This record gives sequence, structure tokens and C-alpha cells, in this order.
Amino acid sequence: MPPFKLSRRTVLKGIGGVSLALPLLDAMVDSSPAFAQTALPKRYVLCFGGQSLGCDGDPLHNDYVPNIVGPNYDLKSALAPFADHNNIKNEISVVSGLTIPSANGGSIPPGGRDDFFHVSSLSPLLSGVRSPSPEAVCYGPSSDQLMVDVLAGSSTFRSLIFRIQADWYLSGSAPFGRDAISYRANPRGSPIPIPPTISPALAFNALFGNFTPSQDQQEAARRNFELRSRRSVLDRVGSSSAALLPRLGTADRIRLEQHYDEIRTLEHRIAAIPPVQTSTCQRPPDPGADPALGGAQHIDDSGILVYDQNLGYSGEEERARVFCDLIHMAITCDLTRVVSLQMTMFQSHMNVFPLTGQPFDVHELGHSPLGTLGVSRAIAWHMKHFGYLVAKLRDTPEGDGNLLTNTALVFLHEGGHGRDPSSGSLESSHSTENMACLIAGRVGGLSPGRHVVAAGKHPANVVLTAMQAAGYPQNSLGEVNGDIPALRG
Amino acid sequence: MRISRPAGWLIALALGGCGGSSNLTADRLADGSPMATPTAAVDVSGARRLTRTEFDNTVRDLLGDITSSGFGMLPPDAYDPFDNDYRTQLPSPTLIEALEVLATNAAARLAADPARRSAILPCTPSGPADATCFRNFIVRFGRKALRRPLSTDEVQSLLGFQAFSVEGNDFFIGVQLVIRTLLQHPELVYRLEVGTPVDGADGIFRLNNYEVATRLSYFLWGTTPPDWLLDLADAGRLQSAESIRSAASRLLQDPRANARVARFHGLWLGYHQLPHSAELTQALQTETSALVNKVVFEDQADYFELFRSNQTYINDFLADHYGLPRPGSSSFQWVNYGSSGRKGIMSQGAFLSAGAKFNDTSPTQRGIFVRSRLLCQRILPPPPSVNPDQPPTSPVSSCKVDRYASHASVGSCAACHQNLDPVGFGLENYDRAGRFRATDDGHPECPITGNGRIAEMGAFNGPAALEDLLLASGQLEQCVVTQVYRFAMGKQESADDAGLITSLTTKFRGNNRSFKQLLLDVASNETFAFRRAE
Repeated sequence: MPPFKLSRRTVLKGIGGVSLALPLLDAMVDSSPAFAQTALPKRYVLCFGGQSLGCDGDPLHNDYVPNIVGPNYDLKSALAPFADHNNIKNEISVVSGLTIPSANGGSIPPGGRDDFFHVSSLSPLLSGVRSPSPEAVCYGPSSDQLMVDVLAGSSTFRSLIFRIQADWYLSGSAPFGRDAISYRANPRGSPIPIPPTISPALAFNALFGNFTPSQDQQEAARRNFELRSRRSVLDRVGSSSAALLPRLGTADRIRLEQHYDEIRTLEHRIAAIPPVQTSTCQRPPDPGADPALGGAQHIDDSGILVYDQNLGYSGEEERARVFCDLIHMAITCDLTRVVSLQMTMFQSHMNVFPLTGQPFDVHELGHSPLGTLGVSRAIAWHMKHFGYLVAKLRDTPEGDGNLLTNTALVFLHEGGHGRDPSSGSLESSHSTENMACLIAGRVGGLSPGRHVVAAGKHPANVVLTAMQAAGYPQNSLGEVNGDIPALRG
Repeated sequence: MRISRPAGWLIALALGGCGGSSNLTADRLADGSPMATPTAAVDVSGARRLTRTEFDNTVRDLLGDITSSGFGMLPPDAYDPFDNDYRTQLPSPTLIEALEVLATNAAARLAADPARRSAILPCTPSGPADATCFRNFIVRFGRKALRRPLSTDEVQSLLGFQAFSVEGNDFFIGVQLVIRTLLQHPELVYRLEVGTPVDGADGIFRLNNYEVATRLSYFLWGTTPPDWLLDLADAGRLQSAESIRSAASRLLQDPRANARVARFHGLWLGYHQLPHSAELTQALQTETSALVNKVVFEDQADYFELFRSNQTYINDFLADHYGLPRPGSSSFQWVNYGSSGRKGIMSQGAFLSAGAKFNDTSPTQRGIFVRSRLLCQRILPPPPSVNPDQPPTSPVSSCKVDRYASHASVGSCAACHQNLDPVGFGLENYDRAGRFRATDDGHPECPITGNGRIAEMGAFNGPAALEDLLLASGQLEQCVVTQVYRFAMGKQESADDAGLITSLTTKFRGNNRSFKQLLLDVASNETFAFRRAE
């Protein structure tokens, strides 16, 4: 007799209860042998840091790319946090030698960018489609949203879209698109940015607000009543579309259809079976209220508050930790299979003083006298959290391996260091020469823990390698074709 | 670098020569003929989502809830400079999740507050199953929340919540669920305009009375219409220009109109947020808002008084800040500027805080600010070859005027900067918080002349002289009207709107530049009760 297979979903659907207290069956625990034999979901995680790798006027392009090529690579200061978590570098590959081609005074090549740096690498990095002008516009869908169609299946959240940098920080201006990295395809026009969640409290509530109820009968009954109320409310909100949409003109109907789509997504999530506690899928602690949004101002000697790169702070350290914990647990509980985590905005003005003790914001650091070593400390802050996330995935068993076995992660940086085609400077942070990025996870034969030199390749080639490893069937991302075979075992 | 919307790099007038021929002429508006069906000048309207501030105002006025909890949770609005351009408003999972949480929490706060809770009910429930009282509440609150009467089906559907009241043995459970439903209802969250097609005018729709009430209320109050305005809509009395004007006039008598006018000015002139300490920020905003309120509401004066007032509203703290004589009180007083050389709003710290860069004033940024905000010119960003992240430098001098001269020494830079930097240099004697200075910050060897110039208008020195120049230019009125129109419509004007804006400007001049009359004219102009399909 073959082993009896039972998924959590099947059990719960069969019982028909959503918020009843349920006994834990061994067969429902992820690490049990029976569960391991069911097909495990694959995942794709896109991370981003809005910074170049080097500093203006410093001949050192970066303190990031290892000297050693291949496994057991050396850790320079930007990647120093990868020594933590029992050498998490063994789960992360560094890909160097990457370039996003620039127009160089001529026309913009496929997958390339305008000569003006800010923020012309956005579209090539995220979608592989060239930027016809230096604007924060993505001209193709981003890789994470392409992967939604491949991976999301019946998962409760088709993707999680979070941002850690919680404020633009400059007064008198606005991010104008620098604040999103996820773009969904739009059959009617250019891709639509998806505003990320910056609130850990909101994210926690959405992901784990209806987690497995307690064994307490009274509490279970209260939750059941609240869940039925909530569904009843959303049902009325969502069903208002029937009377409303036909009355609207075309443009408004399109807007409201999108709004109603999101309501239906929320209803779908609530109707979905909430995660059940297993040996690994546990309700994370409630992060509580969000850290306050901080302004980047301080009082100068004469009593005026001026923009100061050193004091604005919105608790990004805490936000980063909570988001990484939530992402890890959402993947563990199979609440989602696609994640987009924007650590910092494009052209980020996030203040790093509270994080690294350097008296600049991320963007000004690249133009500061602190040099490439100074820039590297801000990169290392990103890497600390990326390493933490990868380690949590590694340390969570699933099937015969761990969560990394079925996951691909990519970390992209906004720029490289080298020649700035608009000024001609050869030591500029406004450059997409000498770029590098990270890829982690072992899904689809990815073989992490190496430094791979992919001279002349585009960052989108790395992205495509990760996408294909997780099941993407195409051989191009936007205008960029082909993967990097050396990243696979 | 400061970010502005990229689009090119030449200076162009937003309105000038825009082919704005329109069948709506000032003559037709002035002769008081009955409201005809407008055609060419009717503006498109799209679904406008409430801004974060409007959502919080709406919850305040529906429930008496003053927590303003939407601001930190709803997706941020784009400020450009107004916060209500509907084309920037995208639905997202974050929006939907935030609305649900906000609605749930607001309903729970109400249920926990006996005073507010009974105020919202038109009756005293006899028990959880009191269907009459529940229905009365739904009908009354539903009209207020969705700004129109609920249909029979909608009432019936919401009555279904009473089952929860009965199950939980608490009448207010059903009340909470109605509130939760309506606070996240798309017809509350968006201002949707449908109207009825106008015969013989393709694509033009006449708004219904409730849509007019909503337009009026969010334009003049930034919040949901009051009961009396919805009563007028019930009675069908918001269709003629006269009745709309009369309703608008009544709205303008409420303090919410003062707050709305203050917000318009704060967004337009950028001082709704200031890069100063909380104390200084609040003091500067108090000073400038008081002047706006005095000119617009208290004195109902010529709007130009905003730019030529010899008085300002300060306390000892602010007097010390400016180096003006103390009024002798920690509370604010009107004082005369005397011989300080200051006058009007442009001498105030709130205005002079605009356009700072590199921790100092930026003559370029101030020039852009004056031209874009006060003259409505479109200033396009620098060409790609320029790195605006670096302050200009000079090989020979550390004085600002010499450093900025590098902008003029390169032909391609000079083309734009000759129109920008000299405007800002005329304000250089005033630092980024409006304090007078004779030399560059940190460079006592660099005297500031304060000499400035608007290329097409002439030379000036200091904010008072700049104000004189702008007032005499004949261009300020049209720009003020244009900014009000953008704020009212939630979008940039199109070429088709030029005729309407010109006619409103003519009326503005004719009404001794009364800002209140301008608001009334916008609200009752021939196109206000119409929309064009997008």
C-alpha cells in the first residue's frame, strides 16, 4: 500500500471549517516524510538596494567583488556580513563583471539606458527593457510579477511586495517612481507599478491575522464570529461592483475594476485556509505598532532645523528585521511563492547614520569624500539583512532539504562604478559599468556559494537565470536573452 | 538633487498660445444668460480617490473620529504640488488592506465611545433585533457616507447585518458592520461622477445633484458634504448656477473652508511641510496662514494684499527669529513691518524656505519656484549631461555669486539658468528660513547685493520688490486662477481649459481680486455641473 498522502489544504477543505481548532496530524507537519513526498512549491524572491557600488573620485570600483573566483570566495567589506550565520556566503553566489550598456551619445541599445544615470537603470534592471529617458518608469513587467504567473498557483498571496526604506526623506521633492520595484504587465499600456507595503503592522495583519486559532473554545468562537463578520462586510463591499461598474465610463471602469480586483484578492485570501501550525510554520510574534516615520532634519547652531542626512530615521533596522521574518514565515507556511523586497529606494536618500554611523545618506555617500570603502558600509547594511533572510530559509527544513532547496533569490544594486557617459568621469558612482549582484537558493540546479565572473553580461541575465531555475519557461527577460550557465551546478 | 518631473529642458508657458479657443467666452459668462450646455470647455473628470487628508476629514465628519489614522497607513499621495492628481492614484493591495483595517478600527473606536455612538443613531434601539431603528440608521448614515441615498437593495443588504447583532446580543455589532462596509466602499473612497448624457453634446454629461454636492464639498471643504447640502441635492436644487453659488457661499462660512483655503496655499507654496524644528515650523505656518485668512476671509480684501501687506502676525519667538522688534508677547499679534523692508507673503519664512539645496538657499531652485508656482511657467529639468548632485563651483572664488556664474559661462546652461538664477539672487539676502543676511553663510568676505532680475519683467532687489514686479506684470492673477483650478479639478489643465481660465481671470480682476469670489466663480462657472467623458 502506498504511503497515505495528505496535504494541509485537503484536510481543512474536507473538514470544511476555517477557524475551528484543529488537532495537529503528523501527516500535516512539513518535516514529516509523508509531506515531503508531495510536490513542493518553488519560490522566487527579488531584492533591491538603491545604491551604486563605488564612490565618486575613488579609483577603487568596489569593495564587494571577491578576489577569488569560484567557491570559498573571500569577503570584502561590503559582503562582510556573509561570514555570519555559519558562513551564509556558502548559500550565496556573487556575479561580477556585469554591465548595463549606455547610449554613449547615440541611440539606446536593447536592455540599455539613457546616459543620465538617475534613474535610468530602473527599467533595464527590473524588466530587461531599455529606458528611453532617465525616468523612474519601467517599460516591461518586473521579473517578480512575471514569476507570479508561473508560481503563484493557489497560494494565498500571489506576491508579497514590501519596502524597508519608509520615507523619501527629502523635503520639497517626491520619489516620482523611485519607490517601487514591482510592475505588473498592462495589456492597455505601460506596466503598472505596485505600491509596496511599508507597514510591518499591516503586513503582519494581512499574513497572520487569521492564523490558526487557539485551542480555547471561547476564543475560537470569537474568531469565528469575527471572520464571518469580516467576510460578510467584504462581500457587500465587493458585490457593489455589479450595480456600479456598468454605470461608469470606460476609463473609470478600468480604474474601479482594478480596485475591485484587489478586493476580490483580499476576499480570496480570507477565504483561503489559514496556515496551520506545524513544526516550522508558526505564527510570528506580533511586531506591534510601526516605528514612527522620521524626518531628516536637525536643529543647527542658530536654531533652524535643516535637512540633515544623519538624523532622519524611520526605524529601518526594525522594519528590515520584521519584513525578513514575515517573508521567511510566509514562505514556510506557503502563503506566498513570490516576494519583492525593496530595501532602499532608487537614488536612496535613506539616512545611514543611525545604521552605520556614517554622516551621509545613501545617495550622498556615493558623492562623499568617504570613498568606496565608505559606500561599502552602507551596502553591508543591506547585506546583513539579506544574509539573515537567506540563513532563515536555509535553517528551515522542508522535504529532504530546506527552504532554499526550492527557492531562488536575487539581489540587485542600482549601479556599478566606472565611466559615467554623461560626464566622462572614469571614477563615477553614476555608472553601470562594473556592476555585480547576488543570486542564492538551490532550486532548479542553482549552485550557490561561488563567485562567478560573467564579463559583459547584463544583470538581467542573472535575474533570468534565477527565474528559469524556478520554472520560468522563456529565454529572455525583456530585451535581454539567455542565462548564465555557470551559476548552475 | 531635488527631483522634478522630467520632461525636457526648455521653459515654456503652460497656458500661453495654447490654441485655447473656446465657445465659453467671458462675455457669455458675464451677461448672466441661463446656463447653456457647455461643450468645448467642459473638463474631463475621472474617478478621484480621496487623498489621505480627505479620507481622514471624511471619517472625522462621519463619525466624529479625530484620530486621522489614515495618514500613516494609506499609500502616500504624490505632491506635485497638490496632493490630489487622480492620475497618480493607483489601486494596490496596500490600499485595500489599509482601508479594511482603517474601517474596522474606526468602527470599533466608535462602538467603544458611548457619546459618539449614540450621536450617530437617529433612535434608541429597543434591543439587538430592533429592525426599525437599524433601518433608520442605515438610511441616514448610508446617505451621508456614500453621498447619495441608498437603493432599496442596498438597504436590504445592509439590514442583513442585524443577524450578527442578534447572535452577539448587541445592537451595535450591526452598526459597526454597516460602518465597516461603508468606510471601505468604493463609492466613499472614490468620487465617482456619472451624470446623464446631454442631448446633442457628444461625450458631455450633466452631473446629478449629489455629484454636484460632492464636487462642491471636497473642493471647498476637503471633506464629505454636510446634511444640509445633501438635503439640497435631495430637493434637486443644485442644478442652476445661482443655486450652486448660493450653496458654495454657505460652505465658505464654515471653518472647514478656512482650513481648505489654508491647505491650498500650503500645498501651492510648499509650506505644508517645512524643513525646520517643530516650533519654528508651526510658528511660520501660523504666521502665513493668518495672513491668508485675513486677506481671504476676515478682510475679504484684494488678493494682492497677500503680496503687499505691511503687517505680519508674529510673537516674540518669531520676532527674534526674524530680528524684528518683539511684540511683547508669546501669543501672536499683528505688527507693522515698519522700515524692515519686508512686506507680504514673500517676506515670510514659510515662503522663503522653498527651494533650499546643499543646506543653503539655491538661487536656481528659488527661480524655478517663482516661475513655476507664481507665474505658472513650466520649468523642465536639466539636460542629461548635467549632474545636479554637485553644487556649482568656481576656480577663483568661494562666493556664491561667483560659483553660480559657472551656470552662465557654459552656453547650454546659460540658456535656462539666465532665467532662473537671477530670480533667486534677488532673494539672497534672506536665508532658507527667511532671516536677513548681508553675506553668504559662512563666508563674511562674500557680500550679498540682493540684486535680482526677471528677464522679461525687469530688475528687483528683495522679496518686496519682487512682489511689486509680479503684481505689475499682469500675470499673477491668471496663475492664481490656474492653480485654484488645478486644485479643484485634481489635475493639470488642458489646452481646452484656457478659455475658462481666462474668463475666470477676467472675473477675478473685475471682482477686485476677491479670492472668495474666485472660489464662488469656479464653483458656479458654466461647466461646473458638467463633465466630459475621459
